Amino acid sequence: MDIVVLVKQVPNTTEVRIDPKTGNLIREGVESIINPEDRHALEAALQIRDNTGGKVTVLSMGPPQAIDGICEALAMGADRGILLSDRIFAGADTWATSTTLGRAIRKIEQFDLVLAGRQAVDGDTAQIGPQVAEYLGIPQLTYVQKLEVREGAVIAERALEDGCEHIEAPTPVLVTVLSSLNEPRYPTVAGLIDSTRPRAPIEIWNGADLGVKAYEVGLAGSLTQVVKTFTPKGARNTQYLEGSPAAVAAQLIDALRKKEIRLGE
Amino acid sequence: MANLLCDERDVKFVLYEQLNIEELCESEKYSEFSRETFDMVLDAAVKLAEKEIWPTNADGDQKGVILEQGAVKVPESFHNAYRLYCEGGWSLLAVPPDMGGQGFPSVLNCAAVELFSAANQAFMMYPGLTIGAARLIEKYGTEDQLREYMDRMYSGEWAGTMCLTEPQAGSDVGALRTKAVKNPDGTYKISGGKIFISAGDHDLTENIVHMVLARVEGAPPGTRGISIFIVPKKRVENGELVDNDVICAATEKKLGIHASATCALNFGEKDNCIGYLLGAENEGMRIMFNMMNEARLAVGIQGLAQASAAYMHALRYAKERVQGPEIHALKDPTAPKVPIIYHPDVRRMLMWMKCVTEGIRALIYYAGYCEDRIHAAKSEEEAAKYQGFLDILIPICKSWSSDMGFRVTELAIQVHGGYGYCREYPVEQFMRDSKICSIYEGTNGIQALDLVGRKLAVKQGALFKSIVAETGNLLKNASKNYRLKDIVEPFAQARSQLVEVTRYFGLKSITEDFMIPVLYASPYLELFGDLAVGFMLLWQAVIADRRLEEIYNDAKADTPEKKAEVLRTNRSAAFYRGKVASAQFFSNTFLSLSKGKARAIMSGERSAIDLPEESFALF
Ligand SMILES: Cc1cc2nc3c(=O)[nH]c(=O)nc-3n(C[C@H](O)[C@H](O)[C@H](O)COP(=O)(O)OP(=O)(O)OC[C@H]3O[C@@H](n4cnc5c(N)ncnc54)[C@H](O)[C@@H]3O)c2cc1C
Ligand SMILES: Cc1cc2nc3c(=O)[nH]c(=O)nc-3n(C[C@H](O)[C@H](O)[C@H](O)COP(=O)(O)OP(=O)(O)OC[C@H]3O[C@@H](n4cnc5c(N)ncnc54)[C@H](O)[C@@H]3O)c2cc1C
Repeated sequence: MDIVVLVKQVPNTTEVRIDPKTGNLIREGVESIINPEDRHALEAALQIRDNTGGKVTVLSMGPPQAIDGICEALAMGADRGILLSDRIFAGADTWATSTTLGRAIRKIEQFDLVLAGRQAVDGDTAQIGPQVAEYLGIPQLTYVQKLEVREGAVIAERALEDGCEHIEAPTPVLVTVLSSLNEPRYPTVAGLIDSTRPRAPIEIWNGADLGVKAYEVGLAGSLTQVVKTFTPKGARNTQYLEGSPAAVAAQLIDALRKKEIRLGE
Repeated sequence: MANLLCDERDVKFVLYEQLNIEELCESEKYSEFSRETFDMVLDAAVKLAEKEIWPTNADGDQKGVILEQGAVKVPESFHNAYRLYCEGGWSLLAVPPDMGGQGFPSVLNCAAVELFSAANQAFMMYPGLTIGAARLIEKYGTEDQLREYMDRMYSGEWAGTMCLTEPQAGSDVGALRTKAVKNPDGTYKISGGKIFISAGDHDLTENIVHMVLARVEGAPPGTRGISIFIVPKKRVENGELVDNDVICAATEKKLGIHASATCALNFGEKDNCIGYLLGAENEGMRIMFNMMNEARLAVGIQGLAQASAAYMHALRYAKERVQGPEIHALKDPTAPKVPIIYHPDVRRMLMWMKCVTEGIRALIYYAGYCEDRIHAAKSEEEAAKYQGFLDILIPICKSWSSDMGFRVTELAIQVHGGYGYCREYPVEQFMRDSKICSIYEGTNGIQALDLVGRKLAVKQGALFKSIVAETGNLLKNASKNYRLKDIVEPFAQARSQLVEVTRYFGLKSITEDFMIPVLYASPYLELFGDLAVGFMLLWQAVIADRRLEEIYNDAKADTPEKKAEVLRTNRSAAFYRGKVASAQFFSNTFLSLSKGKARAIMSGERSAIDLPEESFALF
């Protein structure tokens, strides 16, 4: 089975601190890591490849430094890495990112399965996987916590809010995974050396390689408009209710009604 | 959150900014590597250390090893950690490529091993001794021995040990009695008992290869009659592993490293223990000598590692533990209580731990770096220069690191107060585990004798002179920077004190009073270590000060207020400021004592030797 794994380099959010004065994130000195759930997607791909053969390609879009993530993925055992890097890709929202990744997967051509993490810890949208599937016109299975492959199909267990769902889908198919799916392996020292050698199997593709126009990708190709970003104000307005329990209850109900909060029947 | 095993920023500072190890990649030998490879390997090591090895540390301490029917079991949790360690190829990190290894520079290996040892010193004994034993075979083994043992040991499939110590032969290795009798087929029959053998038996691997020092029948007494043998737990016969009559008779109950099996081994109880000679007969001590630098450096790394973990834990605790008000508000019972890092005495302890840990780290990595420079040298003089540095610094790397590293772990308990004394927190284990470092691989007393009796004498003091010259160069360079004045002055003083004491020793050793250098070997090593570590910290301060000024300039921070603001918001600036402070604190609290320490030595005070034994105490 030939598998494409989508990986993203993200700041290690467990290390991000907030400047107490400005309230901004201090990104300086924060290391970049492979998005945690993408690691599980990669592990799933490697396991499938180890059992059934085929090839695992990791695909990432990002600045040139994102190559570190690809190296690490190769050191864990991926066969090929592709980094989509170009100035025109910068500032992409999920729409433009999905378009770019989708184009790249079409260019890869040969694939039975696309694996991705459910969502990235820096954006938390969970949109990339589904949008890439739509772009490619293939089925999608999201929130997957168990995965099996058969000839021409995958069987997945999806985690739902109140239970789980078993689903079979024909390949090619896109699957986004949860961290409960598996335990990612560690990169080996030998793998790390190989992946940082000049002849490591890593390609860097730009806009021309994908045949995309500048207005289709990056900021220009983005549909999302950010109106304003702000830190929610934590200030509370505390009101004390006094009196007998019955009187307090009555006041409370009145107060909630005044705020148009529905109290049920 | 940053890891609690070591300060990664400081590790990278030593590697890239102080030692500039990327330069090594310019040499043929390390041309495969780049900063990128080094970084990725370090990051991967941090993850493995933190996520897989560290969780086994307290577990191993509590469970220890179990000896049942002659077989030792290590804690269950060690098996998975060992598998990941071997599969990841970590044991092969610094092994030369032509021996199947990765061939990384030794300095990088120091950094990786520091991390792993900080995560679990007892665990690291198993792969550590295996590598040590395999190295011996690599250097002195026959082709067959390489194939049969070394390959399997480097991959971690088989483990290894070093068997020197016997009940009557500890520091005095020459007194050993284990016997080897030559068989007609050229192998030897081994018989005798060894004690204190680390990793002497365990269930991590199916076979263990013991490197056994023994005396061939009729060999001369003392160290000249010692040979070294490969004695596997199971020997290969007709392609099968058969029992080789090596019995684990007991495991020691110890202060620390509980999960490292310290075994009493009996060889040839049933007269069926075969050993294979390594090198030539009676060459055992010479062979061991050639491996000594590496082994002693490894113990220095252990001392560093425990100090490092202890400092990081103490620092975190001090930021979290709230106790008492600030000193200015001592009399105000309503004043808010503050984290103990606000208290000057706690800060003093933390500063002590910080500068000692960083100093040891730099010194140890520098020794590793010297090894690499020897290998990458373009000329024989260059190689000899670094070999000289290495030879004279090794006893200091081993002893100063283990002695002071131990004190760092002890201070970590102090910072934790009553909690530090309890098992619930890991710091008391750091201290217990750390203590062994001053004892094995040649006690620190023996190291001091090696420094004073052997290393100072080499080529009429040439090694010492080269260190004096090297420190002189740094001094000249650092003196140009007026901001470093407070660091430079005590350093210059300490340097001249050391030179003076060394001269004094020289004089004493040619007179009838040669007992003085022997008596004061350990205080001398301490003085030497102070200077060596001061040298490292001053070197770092020169670099850090320059970087810090650059950052201030870029930020146009020309007032104390603006500088303070930069330190608050710029992590690099904060780090460099901390580096300069380490050097300054060390200079003023350690190096400024050198005058007193030197005087104590040169007092020639002899009561310790002159006192009749009866007068020590009345038994
Ligand atoms: C946990 C542990 C693990 C060990 N692992 C190994 C191992 O894997 N392989 C192995 O072979 N050994 C091992 N050892 C043994 C260790 O190397 C010895 O304990 C050490 O060499 C000291 O020997 P000793 O214990 O007999 O002490 P002694 O030699 O009796 O020393 C006692 C004290 O006297 C001092 N002293 C002795 N002789 C002199 C002298 N000539 N001049 C000045 N001072 C002197 C020492 O410095 C020390 O302070 C281990 C020991 C321990 C505790
Ligand atoms: C084995 C054991 C037996 C004990 N027995 C008893 C007992 O019988 N009865 C009893 O009442 N208690 C007992 N204790 C408690 C013991 O007295 C306390 O642990 C001790 O007073 C320290 O307090 P702490 O542990 O809260 O440490 P903390 O007060 O949190 O101190 C932590 C560190 O901060 C430093 N520090 C704290 N405040 C300041 C300050 N203002 N200025 C400078 N430095 C400061 C301390 O010196 C220490 O280094 C026992 C503790 C142990 C471990």
